[in-house]
Amino acid sequence: MTLLATSARRAAPVFACIGLLAIWQVASLALKNDSFPTAIEAIRAIPDILGDKESLINILASFRRMAIGFGVAVLVSIPLGLLMGRSRAVAAFFNPLLMVIYPVPKAALMPIIMLWLGVGDIAKTLVIFLGVSLPVIYHSFEGARAVEEKMLWSGAAMGLSPLQRLIRIVLPAALPEVLTGCRTGLVLALITMITSEMIARQSGAGNILFNALDMGQYDTVFAMIIIVGAMGICLDAIFERVRARLVRWSEPQFDMPLSFS
Amino acid sequence: MKVVPSRSSEWVRPVTSQKPASAIIEIDRVSQVFQTSARKDHLALSDISLTIDEGAFVSILGPSGCGKSTLLYIVGGFVSPTSGAAKIKGQAITGPGPDRGPVFQEFALFPWKTVLGNVMYGPRQQGVRTPEAEAQSRALIEMVGLKGYENFYPKELSGGMKQRVALARTLAYHPEVLLMDEPFGALDAHTRTRLQNDLLNIWERDRKTVLFVTHSVDEAVFLSDKVVMMSKSPGRIRQVIDIDLPRPRRRNELLLDPRYQKYVVDIERMFDEVDETGSPS
Ligand SMILES: Nc1ncnc2c1ncn2[C@@H]1O[C@H](COP(=O)(O)OP(=O)(O)OP(=O)(O)O)[C@@H](O)[C@H]1O
Ligand SMILES: [Mg+2]
Repeated sequence: MTLLATSARRAAPVFACIGLLAIWQVASLALKNDSFPTAIEAIRAIPDILGDKESLINILASFRRMAIGFGVAVLVSIPLGLLMGRSRAVAAFFNPLLMVIYPVPKAALMPIIMLWLGVGDIAKTLVIFLGVSLPVIYHSFEGARAVEEKMLWSGAAMGLSPLQRLIRIVLPAALPEVLTGCRTGLVLALITMITSEMIARQSGAGNILFNALDMGQYDTVFAMIIIVGAMGICLDAIFERVRARLVRWSEPQFDMPLSFS
Repeated sequence: MKVVPSRSSEWVRPVTSQKPASAIIEIDRVSQVFQTSARKDHLALSDISLTIDEGAFVSILGPSGCGKSTLLYIVGGFVSPTSGAAKIKGQAITGPGPDRGPVFQEFALFPWKTVLGNVMYGPRQQGVRTPEAEAQSRALIEMVGLKGYENFYPKELSGGMKQRVALARTLAYHPEVLLMDEPFGALDAHTRTRLQNDLLNIWERDRKTVLFVTHSVDEAVFLSDKVVMMSKSPGRIRQVIDIDLPRPRRRNELLLDPRYQKYVVDIERMFDEVDETGSPS
C-alpha cells in the first residue's frame, strides 16, 4: 500500500467527524431553532461540564458501572455461549430462556429491577449486564458451533480433556466471532448505561443529560451527547485495536476489490 | 497368505520370517449406519473385519464414498461404530488417544497458531519441555520441507504446505499408530513423491504402524505391506492383497520391477471392477 493510501485511511475517521460537525453546524444555522444549538455552541459547553467536579464524578461513576457491567457480562457470557455451541444439552436448556429475554428492551426491565434492588449502582449495573450478555452469548454460541470438528479431534488425539479442548481450541478458534459479540456488547453497554440513568435519575452521565433537557439547557444537552459519543468512539477504537491484535491470524488476506483492473 | 479379510473367530496372521507379527489393531465385524438428513439410514460400512499387525504399513484403497475415512475415524476413536468393535493392543477403543495419531483429509490445523506452534502443540501437551519440543519440531518442519516457514500462519500457506504441517504436527507427538487420510492427496506430483519417500524412510527407521487411506494405486503398492481393497455402497472389504516386495524400497528400482508393475496393474483392474459395481443404495 502506498504511503498516501495509508495516511488517507488513517485520517478517514477524523474527516468523518469533522464532516458530521460541519453538517450539524450548517443545519443548526439554517433551522434557527432554540432547542438545536450549533455544533460550536455545544463544543463550548464541554469544558464547563468537565471542569465541574460534581459532573465529573457523575460521569466517572457511570463509567465504572459500565465497566463492571460489561466485564462481568463478558466473563459469564463467553463460557456460557461456548458451552452452548458445543453441547446440545446446554443449548437446549438455555436457548428458550434467552429467546424470552432477547427481544425485551433491557431498559424496560429497569422499573422492576429498581423495585427489587433500589435505584443504586446494583440495579443499573444489572441492566448493563443484561444488555451486554445477549450479543456476547449469541456470538460465542455461533462461533463455537462453527469450530471444525476435526480440530477438536486433533486435540483429543493429543490428549486434551474436554475442558482443555473448550478453553484451548474452541475459545481461540471462535475468538473472532466472540470479539465481534463483545464489540456489539460494548456499544450496548454505553446505551444501557445512559438509558438506565434516564429511568433511575439519581446520578451519572445520563442524569446530567436529562436534567439539562428538563431545564432547557440545550447546549449542555448536546455537549453531553458529544461527550458520550466521544467516549463511545474512543472505547470502540481501543477495543478494535486489541481485537485486531488478537485475531490477526484470521484477518482476510485481501480487501474486496471494487473493480478488477 | 492372501485375499482373506480376517474374522474374529479365526485371526489370520501373516507370519513373516524376520519379525514375529502381533496384532496391534483388530477390527471386528464393524458396521456403521449414518442417519442422513432425509431421515434415511445409510449403511456406510458393512461387516468390516481386519487385523493390522504391529509395525505394518496397511493401505486402504477404494472409490470415493466407500467409507475409508469413516473406518479411520472408528480406529481413531472419534466415531463409535453402530455395531462391532475395534481394539488396540487387545483393549477396546472407546475414544481418541495419543497412541493413535490422525492426519485428516481436511488438515484441521489450528489457524491461530503458527506452523511451529501447530507442530509443537502435541509434544507440549504431552509434557515435553518447550526448548526440546521446539528443537524437535523445527527438525520435523525441516524434514517436511518447510524450513523458513516456521512463523507463518496456516492461512498464509498453500494447500500442499498445510498438508505437510498436518503431517509434521502428528509425527511430533510420536503416536504408535499413524492414521493417515489421503495425506498426500492435495500435493503436486513432485512433492508427493518426495513425501512418500520421506514417509517410507521414517517408517523403515522406526516401524510405526500405519493405516493409510489413498486413492492412488501406485502409492498404495509403493508404500504398503498390505493393501485393503474396499467396494462401496455399502462399504465392504473386497480383498486384502499382501505386497511382497523387498524393503528398503527405492522408487527408481521399484518402478522397473515387474512384480511391482504386476501389483499395480492387477489392483487397478480390481479397482475398476469395484468402482463399476457400486451404486448408491
Ligand atoms: N456424518 C455423516 N452423516 C451421514 N453420512 C455420512 C457421514 N459421514 C459419512 N457419511 C457417508 O458415509 C459414506 C462414507 O463416507 P467416507 O467419508 O468415509 O468416504 P471416503 O471413502 O472417505 O470417501 P473419500 O475418498 O471421498 O474421502 C459416504 O457415503 C457418506 O455419504
Ligand atoms: Mg475420505
